Amino acid sequence: MSTKTETPVKKKNQKKIQCFWSWVIGSVILRLIIIYFPKNLNLSSRPEVSTPLTSIRRLAEGYWLKQSSMSPYAGSMYHGSPLLLTLLGPLTVKRIEGQPDHLLCSLVFVIADVVTAMLICAAGKKLQAAYSSSLQSIGLHHLSEDSDILPSGDFAALLYLWNPFTIVACVGLSTSAIENLMVVVTLYGACARLAPLAAFGWVMATHLSLYPAILIIPVILLFGYGPDAPPRKLFRQRTNLEVDDSASGDRSCLEDELVNEKRMLNVFSWRPVVLFLFWALLWSSYVLVLCGIYVQQHSGLQEMFKSTYGFILTIQDLSPNIGVFWYFFAEVFDFFRSFFLIVFHGNILLMILPLALRLNHRPCFLAFVYIVLSSMLKSYPSVGDSALYLGLLGLFAYELKDMQFSFFLFSGYVGVSLLSPVMHNLWIWRGTGNANFYFATAIGYACLQVLYLFSLISGPLLVLILLLSLFSLLLFLN
Amino acid sequence: MVENDSVTEKKPRIRPIVRLGFFLISHSNYVSLLCFLSGIVALLLLPILANNTYISENALMPGSANSMLSTQHVSHANKFINDLTHSDIESHKTVAQYMSALDAEVTYHKFYPQLNQFHPLHFFTSSDSGIISKNISCSSLGINVAGIIRAPRGDGKEAIVLVTPYNPKKVGPGEALSLGIAYSVFSLLSRVTWLAKDVIWLVADSQYGEYSAVSAWLREYQAPVFHEAEIVNSETCNDSIAISELGQNPYSDRNSYGGFRRAGTMAAALVIKVDEQGNHHEDSLNIYPEASNGQMPNLDLINIVNYLGVHKTGFRIKVKKMFSLLGSRWLNTLGGIFESLGQIARSLNPQWKFGISATEYVEGAATLASSMYSQGLGVPTGSHGAFRDYQVDAITLKISPKDSPTKMIRRNDFILRGGRLIEGVIRSINNLLEKFHQSFFLYLLSSSSKYVSVGVYMIPFALLVAPLPIVAASLHADASKSTLQSTYSSEVEVSHKSWKWLNSARKVLVIHLWGAVVSLLPYFLYQIPNSTPTTNFTVWGILSAFSLIILYFILGSPIFEAAPSQPEKGEWASLKSVTISTAFIGLSLMSVINFATAEIGALLIVPICLMARPLKLDAQARSWRALLRATCNLALGFIAFPPVAYFLVKGAFEDFNGTNVGDYWNWVESLWTWNSATYLYVGIVHLPCWALCIHILFHPC
Repeated sequence: MSTKTETPVKKKNQKKIQCFWSWVIGSVILRLIIIYFPKNLNLSSRPEVSTPLTSIRRLAEGYWLKQSSMSPYAGSMYHGSPLLLTLLGPLTVKRIEGQPDHLLCSLVFVIADVVTAMLICAAGKKLQAAYSSSLQSIGLHHLSEDSDILPSGDFAALLYLWNPFTIVACVGLSTSAIENLMVVVTLYGACARLAPLAAFGWVMATHLSLYPAILIIPVILLFGYGPDAPPRKLFRQRTNLEVDDSASGDRSCLEDELVNEKRMLNVFSWRPVVLFLFWALLWSSYVLVLCGIYVQQHSGLQEMFKSTYGFILTIQDLSPNIGVFWYFFAEVFDFFRSFFLIVFHGNILLMILPLALRLNHRPCFLAFVYIVLSSMLKSYPSVGDSALYLGLLGLFAYELKDMQFSFFLFSGYVGVSLLSPVMHNLWIWRGTGNANFYFATAIGYACLQVLYLFSLISGPLLVLILLLSLFSLLLFLN
Repeated sequence: MVENDSVTEKKPRIRPIVRLGFFLISHSNYVSLLCFLSGIVALLLLPILANNTYISENALMPGSANSMLSTQHVSHANKFINDLTHSDIESHKTVAQYMSALDAEVTYHKFYPQLNQFHPLHFFTSSDSGIISKNISCSSLGINVAGIIRAPRGDGKEAIVLVTPYNPKKVGPGEALSLGIAYSVFSLLSRVTWLAKDVIWLVADSQYGEYSAVSAWLREYQAPVFHEAEIVNSETCNDSIAISELGQNPYSDRNSYGGFRRAGTMAAALVIKVDEQGNHHEDSLNIYPEASNGQMPNLDLINIVNYLGVHKTGFRIKVKKMFSLLGSRWLNTLGGIFESLGQIARSLNPQWKFGISATEYVEGAATLASSMYSQGLGVPTGSHGAFRDYQVDAITLKISPKDSPTKMIRRNDFILRGGRLIEGVIRSINNLLEKFHQSFFLYLLSSSSKYVSVGVYMIPFALLVAPLPIVAASLHADASKSTLQSTYSSEVEVSHKSWKWLNSARKVLVIHLWGAVVSLLPYFLYQIPNSTPTTNFTVWGILSAFSLIILYFILGSPIFEAAPSQPEKGEWASLKSVTISTAFIGLSLMSVINFATAEIGALLIVPICLMARPLKLDAQARSWRALLRATCNLALGFIAFPPVAYFLVKGAFEDFNGTNVGDYWNWVESLWTWNSATYLYVGIVHLPCWALCIHILFHPC
């Protein structure tokens, strides 16, 4: 009996796996085709794709400076990590005859994308296992069984790989592919409870783009409580109900339940957290030593911090991008500048605590929301950041099946991503528009992201804060 | 207390704005009808809402100085014209000799005419330096002559360009006259002391089309290519090398320099042409401002020409208008109605003066329609269009004399007047401190002295497309509600209910991909040698249909269909809502790229998008209303089919004479050789939306 039922399931699974892999290969082929496309796409110079932090051209410049024994940060060209220079720098110089210029670099980014997708897939599997076990413990087994859809991990991986934003960021040679990889490494490591891996991912991600530093809260929660589960309240209710039902039952059953409850409630376990923190310390000192060696001849680590983290925090480059900061800080008076810098960066920090309190039983989701938040409020956003959170959305496909405004959001993203290059063209190339045209799409994009966040965590207070900060910005500008 | 609670629970307080949204969505039928009709009315009101132009930039000061062009310059110009038309030596050498006699720096620019190339995203990417096509014989070499006067008061960072296209093989009388006018101004400018910007006089070789000559020179000026081995090689095969001969020229010992000469950034450019035939009425001046993709030069440039033409030189300034509309009865009636309405309004309150006379209305409407049509085509109306690609404001001034240039008695007078106009315009531009930026870039002309600005003409468009999101939202709400009711039984189905639209979105995406494929097909068809437009068009149509069928099978195959379910009840509604949203996004995008295209396109595609409803449902209803709707749908579906729409638009704006199917192909070909965004709009937005609407009409629900 059991074998009979198993074989079709197996077959189905096999077919699904085949299907999955063919889609993955398809996405890789698509990327290669676009890489070989003639140069008139010119994606790597689009402001939507490459920011001062992620542009490959700046990286090549930094490498060139380093090769001619100057500091790679001379002349405010390069603002990334020295480790990226050692990894990608030689590849920017190497040319293969008859091939596109940055072929090797693009191959690295394609590989990074695929690895990211695989890690998302693995993380999704871990999450799903945790989810079904927690469902079982509440007693809703049947819910987990009849979910006949594609596993959320596979779905998320495909969503990440086929997202046009990811493809554009990968083909546009933006280093955000590697930043995204590191963030996903963190998430996977935390889900799989591999402290060294998670620590490595977190340290590298923070080192590369600073903002993932806030992920330390969800990662600690993940190590402390384990992956996402329904609120602890639910377990308690469930056990109470069962106690009521089996009031006449024997005592041993009740004791069992109590034990079970204790296990499910699993109080914060400190051991893996301490392990994680230890590893994080180890990795960060290692990274610092490596960087120190690399920039030794040129005024050392201080300059590195100044022109990476300092550059991110003080928003020195005001060239247009899809964020709202450049326009604002181009307008603001110099003597207000530091005040508004604090206000704008404080915005992210303000959001961290309420979210952590509200979502502490679902650390993975919390991490996801943090990623959305930071990609919204970061100083140099690009489509690569949106690619990550749109891909991760697939991980929570089952929870978000009732998402409101999904159609509106979809149309909005399509509309804004088409409108933005057109507005840029109108402003820069035709000269008939001006900066406000492009900034209008940036505002639209920001509003969309607020709405996106709203539909994720229908928390009216949070949305109110976000909208208020956005509108205060607009008011200030007028 | 308890009662209060229950009341608040029953009626959750809804904010007024949300309530307004719900109201709009629930009455989407009436709202959309109202919006659409008011959009059309607003469009018809545009000639009344046009403002008078005014010179916005203070620095221009047109006509503040007296003209310095004298009869002496004109007689020199006359001599030049005679030499040009009667001399034996090649005409470009004559031009160069005369230029260097005026102490101008002379350069020759050799170029190959560019073959038609397909850059589908040209309007979107930066202007790339063109690819020089190989194996062109030496005989097809064109030679532009450019003379540069260095400004005595300038720093050589800015320049004004005069362009006179002419055909060196056969210099016509009109062309000679335009060269004469330019020469007279040029000879004056070489002596004046007030010049602060360099003046470039480009004599463009128009034997392969004036546009390609001007654009080749501009490309060399703005974005030189550094692999010119081919051109250098080809010089050997040309026996009369102009540059080396110029070096031996006694006139130009200090000005002989073989390379390409430049002045500063261009402030503005004027293309001067003279009509070959006289118009028998009066001397008039036609202004052609439209560049590629509906881009216009700054309105101030037109204002100066208009001001100087009217107030100083007494030319009659004209802008192109549609003569077919002038005689149309309905427009005259409409003008009469608006006039009487204006009179009534004035009788109520003398302060209100929005009425204009009927003839004025008709003239304005005809000009506006022409302006919109030529902007909407996205094809430049003259060689000035090449300048706009480099953000230089340029217009073509076509002077049409009273008598034909061959038998003109008052030629000196004509040259004097034309020259004074050009001199005034150049003097005005010379005063500019910055680039043209004060006045409008986005406008439609309703006469040479009236314009409709972007803030006004966006209103009709916004009203036309406003129903789209409202109807899409109401359909989406209905569709999700109906699926919620129908599939509550099975829990699995419920799980996707808010993502139900994904299925329709996939279909819409595939159809839009098909649109992209169809718009790429002519690129391959163009490679077929010796084919007539009609056969090309037929092949194109067949291939398109074939690719649609292939896509249809791929779409229907089990790979794509996750759960092969029978067509559901609300399926067409969700499909329609997604279609409408894509149409909305496409139209809004197009309105930013090229407003006029979006406006005309919205008039064609919005009605069918709003009305589309399966014919089967209407047939089942068996009421007069349903029948009427079905016929309307069929008629609208027929009208919106791109070739039919093309013939209709062409019939409305031009004349119907001698239309055949090949015309459509020719039109399409002209669109993509001019890199018009209209082509992409038709292929990627209009055609797929039409196809989806037809799909909805014949939906088996």
